[in-house]
Amino acid sequence: MDDAPGTRGAASAGPAGPVDPAVTDVAAAAAARARPPEETYRSAGEWIRKNLFSSRFNSLLTIAFGLLILFAARGLLNFVFSEERGWDAVRTNLRLIFTHAYPEEQYVRIWVCVGTLVVLTGLSLGLFARRGEGVQLKKISTVMAGVGAAIALGVILREPSVLTGADGAVVRENDDVVRQSFFEAMADRWVWWLAAAVLIVAGVVLRRAVASSKVSISSVPAVEFAVALLAVPVLSAWIYPWGHFAFVDGTFIAEPGRTVAMSTKVPWTVMWLLVVAAMALGRLMRRGFDEQQQQRMRIPLNLLWLGSPFALYWVILRDPHLEWDRVVSVDIPMGVLFGVIGAGVLWMLTRPGIGELGRIIAIVLLGVAAFNWVAAFFGWYSMLQKARLSFLLLALVALAAHNFAGEIVKRRRLVMAWLVLMAIVHYFATLMNAPSTVETPTEALIGGFAVTVIVAVFTIMLSFPLGVLLALARTSRLPIFRVMATSYIEVIRGVPLITILIFFAIILNLFLPVGMEISLIASATLGYTLFSAAYLAENVRGGLQSVRRGQFEASDAVGLSTTQRTVFVVLPQALRVSIPPLVGQMIATFKETSLLAIIGVFDVLRMANSVIPAQTQFLGIKREGLLFVSLVYWVFAYTLSKQSQRLERRLGVGER
Amino acid sequence: MSDEREERDDSAAGRFGAHTYQRAQGENNVSISDATVAVSDELAARDDMIVCRDVDKWFGDFQALSGITATIKEQEIVVVLGPSGSGKSTWIRCINRLEAHQNGQIIVDGIELTNDLRNIEKIRSEVGMVFQQFNLFPHLTVVDNITLAPIWVRKKSRPEAEELAASLLERVGIPEQAEKFPGQLSGGQQQRVAIARALAMEPRVMLFDEPTSALDPEMIKEVLDVMEELARSGMTMMVVTHEMGFAREVADRVIFMEGGEIVEVGTPHHFFTDPTEERTKLFLSQVL
Repeated sequence: MDDAPGTRGAASAGPAGPVDPAVTDVAAAAAARARPPEETYRSAGEWIRKNLFSSRFNSLLTIAFGLLILFAARGLLNFVFSEERGWDAVRTNLRLIFTHAYPEEQYVRIWVCVGTLVVLTGLSLGLFARRGEGVQLKKISTVMAGVGAAIALGVILREPSVLTGADGAVVRENDDVVRQSFFEAMADRWVWWLAAAVLIVAGVVLRRAVASSKVSISSVPAVEFAVALLAVPVLSAWIYPWGHFAFVDGTFIAEPGRTVAMSTKVPWTVMWLLVVAAMALGRLMRRGFDEQQQQRMRIPLNLLWLGSPFALYWVILRDPHLEWDRVVSVDIPMGVLFGVIGAGVLWMLTRPGIGELGRIIAIVLLGVAAFNWVAAFFGWYSMLQKARLSFLLLALVALAAHNFAGEIVKRRRLVMAWLVLMAIVHYFATLMNAPSTVETPTEALIGGFAVTVIVAVFTIMLSFPLGVLLALARTSRLPIFRVMATSYIEVIRGVPLITILIFFAIILNLFLPVGMEISLIASATLGYTLFSAAYLAENVRGGLQSVRRGQFEASDAVGLSTTQRTVFVVLPQALRVSIPPLVGQMIATFKETSLLAIIGVFDVLRMANSVIPAQTQFLGIKREGLLFVSLVYWVFAYTLSKQSQRLERRLGVGER
Repeated sequence: MSDEREERDDSAAGRFGAHTYQRAQGENNVSISDATVAVSDELAARDDMIVCRDVDKWFGDFQALSGITATIKEQEIVVVLGPSGSGKSTWIRCINRLEAHQNGQIIVDGIELTNDLRNIEKIRSEVGMVFQQFNLFPHLTVVDNITLAPIWVRKKSRPEAEELAASLLERVGIPEQAEKFPGQLSGGQQQRVAIARALAMEPRVMLFDEPTSALDPEMIKEVLDVMEELARSGMTMMVVTHEMGFAREVADRVIFMEGGEIVEVGTPHHFFTDPTEERTKLFLSQVL
């Protein structure tokens, strides 16, 4: 018999009686003793010796690659801070880069969208961010001192500045630019020196204070700290003379030496206040709720998140113009009709004891729904798209209906869910068909980074369920599903994305039923979705294969149906395993939206690459814009990847 | 091979004077006894719960079960013993169709196992199973593990199912672990949760597939105690195990298998003190 370690012994004492507190104390003490001593270094010198110069060869590597980094940093600094750089091109065109030609007078709509997302973020953080995840003060002090040191190093590394003559032109001698002397340059950069000194001193002071335990806390709540940190740029917009640059109604505004425009700092201040308020509200709600109510709050909040892209794009950004005659005479009756008839059908299909007949009816419905689309393609009979879509949805819900059969409460819940679904679908379908009142010079409503985000968000939202379905189909026992899914995935994966995009952008409209048209961005999103779904499916399949056979057997043994087994047992485990590749695919999708530039959408890349360099003031200025756009992409992609790591950690709870 | 079986079957039939019937396969026209006969008349008078007739099962070319014939009565505790690879697990897994048998009949509570999905679903909801590796759902808490099937298969309301789960956890002795995840429990506790999960479907039969084989020695007893309590409560149980003590104390009948066949059937007393077959004696001399 093997000796159980103390903790295990305490855990398995279960049925024998209550656990003896003395035993657990001993176990805890043993655990404390058993922890390895923390590796500490007496001084920075010791750390450097042990980690960077531990052997001759390692010293050589450290020096060689250290020099490489320094040279790279110097090159980047010289590029970014060179007097020849036209950063004005970027700051003047910020609005263009982010939203392209969205009309000035309607701009408040964009702020409403940002504000909605900010409020949702604040609520989520306030309600669900964990208290425990604090930032160590020690770490903050290290980062402060480190940033200060990096600034100081950067100031020294960067070349002395270029001299300009009285006419403002660069002074040249024998074709070489003339530069300040090193010391002049250093003296000129006193602001940076000051910043570096302040940061380093603050970092060191903080560290000392923590070490001598003059400060009673050792960490600050991470979320609050991050939000407080955001106040710095927001506040600086009111104080620091960043300059006012804009390109409005065809005129360029460049007023250095004053603070940024009201139309920038007011909204951002409001956004910051919103996030603080929403977070405070979330915290308040959390204090008022017990664990279970908090869990229940997740559902409406997640639904808001899911619904927000649709609502924000179709209702807020597009500001559709509804023809009320038509709405009253066609749209509302149709929605009500589908709601009521569908509810009746579902009520009947969930009658206890309907058995196989229910499934047969559902299959027949699905067949009719599919036939509607085929008929649309050949133009056999006319039918509103909305009706076709509703029919298809009804068939799909009917297929799942047998899971709700029996108890009256469950049946009622299904019918209610159906009515809500119909209300939402018909609401959005009506809005989508209504013309937009926002007038833009391009065909698209919005461009720049906004279109990147919109296409990426919709692609991810649509391709995720499609990918999961494809993966399930590919691992299905039914050959027809397996063959269909496999051939779809292999075909899509064998075709370059750009081909698919061009195909969808140019040719898709020719294949659509008569009278149906689809915008460029919508067809591009469709292309991205189909492409991304094939890759997501492969990632999910990997996860599905990692679910152990015992899980299938256990689900079968307790009598779960195949659908129930998949939804409640297999998928949750499979998806958890596939989070890293899934997020990788999402980030890839996000970055691949830059291909929109090729099919003629004014996305953020096209702004930097062709629109800005074509402006008379900034002719040919390309590199600055591209660098800025890369930075924006990176910030978003990096945030996504960080969040996925957090998600992974959180879902790791309770795993074997 | 077939001679040997004939001899055994004859002797068994002779000893217990049971009814015999004809095997369906033509050339192998051998009469064999029904294995139920090995117990008292009182037991024989009860209803049949599991009936297996001439069950054959191949994995590729390998025959895992050959001609398994046995009847398990209501409220009976049957322990299946045998060396590893003898087909005990395969047999028990055939009874709720985790494996499909290829010849013969398996009838559970009057329903024959065929390829018909409805029959399989029906039988699975009547038959509880406990696995060697527990196979709890790692992403669900203990209480969610237990309530999942009652809610979705038995269509119980959530509060009702949670009440049931609480009483079952009480019964298996770990009411305080309800909100934990399986990964946070010891092996013995996990297996007891698995038993509670199977019981939550209110099954008519419980199948145990080596329930203690994956456990550390000090945890085996807590699981066996639960099984013993279950046996006393009148559950029909079929247990594949290596725990000879359990077989001796709790079983109504012991079935010994080797090479995919039933070698010997008898009461624990008969089996452990006076086995008839050479192979049984050999097995017992190795494990006792």
